[in-house]
Amino acid sequence: MILRLLAVDFLKIRRKGLWLLTFIGPIGVVALQMVNYGVRKDYLFSLTDDHWQQYIGNVSAFTPLAIILGIVILTSFMASIEDETNAWKQLIALPVSKREVYLSKFTMISCLLFVSSIILLLMTYFYGLTLGLGEDIPYLQIIQYSLLPFFASLPVLGLQLWLATVCTNQAIPTTVGVISVIFAYSAMYLPDWVIWKWPSLDNQWDQPYLNGLMGIAMGLAIYLIGMTDFKRRDVK
Amino acid sequence: MLSIMRSEWYKLRKSWVIWLLFIPPLIGLFLGQISMGDIGEANQWIIKLVMANATYALLFLPLITGVVAGFICRYEHQEGGWKQLLALPVTRGKVYLTKYILVLFLVLTMQLLYLGSMLILGAIQGITDPFPWEIVWRSILGGWVATSPLVALQLWMSMIFKNFAAPFSINVIFTLPSLLVINSERFGPYYPWGQPFLMMNIGGEGDNFFFIPWEQLLMVVGGSFIVFFFGGYLYFQRKAV
Amino acid sequence: MEYIVETNQLTKQFGKEKAVDGVEIRIPKGEIYGFLGPNGAGKTTTIRMLLGLMRPSSGSVHLFGKDLKNNRIAILKRVGSLVENPSYYPHLTAYENLEAIRKIVDVPRARMKEVLKLVRLQDAANKKVKGFSLGMKQRLGIAAALLHQPELLILDEPTNGLDPSGIIEMRKLIKQLPEKYGITVVISSHLLSEVDQMATTVGVISKGKMIFQDSIEAMRRIAQASIHLRVNDPKAVHQALLVYGQKADIKENSVAIQTTADEEVASIVQYLVEQGFAIYRVEEEKRSLENIFLEMTKEEQIR
Repeated sequence: MILRLLAVDFLKIRRKGLWLLTFIGPIGVVALQMVNYGVRKDYLFSLTDDHWQQYIGNVSAFTPLAIILGIVILTSFMASIEDETNAWKQLIALPVSKREVYLSKFTMISCLLFVSSIILLLMTYFYGLTLGLGEDIPYLQIIQYSLLPFFASLPVLGLQLWLATVCTNQAIPTTVGVISVIFAYSAMYLPDWVIWKWPSLDNQWDQPYLNGLMGIAMGLAIYLIGMTDFKRRDVK
Repeated sequence: MLSIMRSEWYKLRKSWVIWLLFIPPLIGLFLGQISMGDIGEANQWIIKLVMANATYALLFLPLITGVVAGFICRYEHQEGGWKQLLALPVTRGKVYLTKYILVLFLVLTMQLLYLGSMLILGAIQGITDPFPWEIVWRSILGGWVATSPLVALQLWMSMIFKNFAAPFSINVIFTLPSLLVINSERFGPYYPWGQPFLMMNIGGEGDNFFFIPWEQLLMVVGGSFIVFFFGGYLYFQRKAV
Repeated sequence: MEYIVETNQLTKQFGKEKAVDGVEIRIPKGEIYGFLGPNGAGKTTTIRMLLGLMRPSSGSVHLFGKDLKNNRIAILKRVGSLVENPSYYPHLTAYENLEAIRKIVDVPRARMKEVLKLVRLQDAANKKVKGFSLGMKQRLGIAAALLHQPELLILDEPTNGLDPSGIIEMRKLIKQLPEKYGITVVISSHLLSEVDQMATTVGVISKGKMIFQDSIEAMRRIAQASIHLRVNDPKAVHQALLVYGQKADIKENSVAIQTTADEEVASIVQYLVEQGFAIYRVEEEKRSLENIFLEMTKEEQIR
């Protein structure tokens, strides 16, 4: 059943630009570096010898912001498709469990974000190659800094999905999203336990994958809370 | 015009937009709290303001004004509010202008509350240096002026799209690059979304009233205002409701 | 008797207010149940509880003899519904909208063509629903509700916003469902006249309480005609009739008797004439169902 629901959810986002946004996000993040390096490559190269490191750092300065805003936008878009003619009531009156409906939404947006992360990975790698950053390509780091933010931001996804589905007024989740992005931008000042810090992959032990693991665990927890609440509520 | 204004204000007052006004001061408290360090400046206030203003003006202000603009259109999109409103004896131009002025007013309030939060934070932290009123006023007003074209674009987009996410995406797509663009002396001055930062950057050039040259204010802020405001205006004139 | 729909003391409370208060619905198989009540009487709330969209504050819903609380999905497989305004995805075509539901209820693709034909939307199948008229959207909603060949169809105000020809068409469509497919239908409305011509059973709800539930014939009996006699002295006539053994009510300047059989009326008139009363008029007065419905709900509202 969950696969069928998922197929329906992908059918519903046709022609709504969600796929377009999924592609714009990572392309935009790397495109900013194209401009950055296009304008002042020599200056940037003069700052350090480890060009790959610097390049990955530049790209990943934007990744957490893009991924958090991406989550805010995708969850809100998804909810507004159901809200527009209050299709929730039609959907829930079908023989489906509310848990599966929620799981399907979560899975669909995770899929979009994961696709985004893969595109980010490829874009980072291939554009990096054209820059002549050196022979020693830090594959592991490129993979880490492209894919781990996705896992580290699952708690944010859980929170935004819950807000977007239970609020009729999408200004609420969007406002929370704006605050979140300020937190993400100020990640270096935040303690390690704050979920909005996690996508930056920064922690006191310097172990990026730790943020990914915490993200999965906490994301699952917040997802379960959101789902329980969604199930409990009367349909709008 | 006054009656439209009163009606719009009434509708607004009845929504929870007022709560939205408390977000900027909260963000101000947060940013002020984490802003400390040595930037070669003796006055503690200025240290705080330089750093807090940066994040506030770069990311928060452009994004939250988009939410406000979306908000002010939201209740019209629901259940055919536009057609009811425009079937009244009002001109579309006036409705558009009223909505725009109202958003500007809310943004100004946000700016003032943000300023207030800084004062409170300083009091809590016991900053005894003299408060640099003069440059602070210039940055608060400057940030407000610099946002006016962005508000116009967001209002335009919010009138086109029924849902909240679409105009917000456009806002994000234009706002995020300013993190990079403002670093460029060549391109920074020409990027409309970078202007709130430049005009709130109290470390900037100090010869003018605002922290950017007059030509830049007129050309970039003024120019983008004209494009966005009249773009939205013309769109709204023709919008089928 | 086994009921397709059965609710026990069904209650929904919003804050202090009871939107639905101890409602007991009984609907046998194959009926068209007209669920009537003024706007805001609790119809939609009740229907939402029948579909598991809302949880009852207390009481229970049994559909097909099973408790909805524990068998929601199994039950909903056999139920089609259209609640209030039709829900649809405006950016998708009619066909895609049905496809979104078909994938969940898992019926063959051919069924989509069938239902589109049934509601006469086959020509608009590939157009975006955004451009549909209200009537077309409503018909699409019905098509969606019928997609998985439900045994119970629940329609909340299905004729809202339809033009007269649309209403007639909808009525024709609904009327044939029990005969042709054995579907039990629940149809809510705030107008009796809308369900009058198709409903076999009616339930009337007012201020959250069920105030009438019986066959449409029983309701018609209440609406039965009475004979009004305008006479010179109503009080005396009333007395005389009681002596004669005929129940009667005094109106302003007439006396009303319930019987309408020709023979009886004739003998009563004859008797009164023999008693020396002057009879000015003998009139038949019919109360419409609509009037009765209005009276029922009005009394309830005053209370």
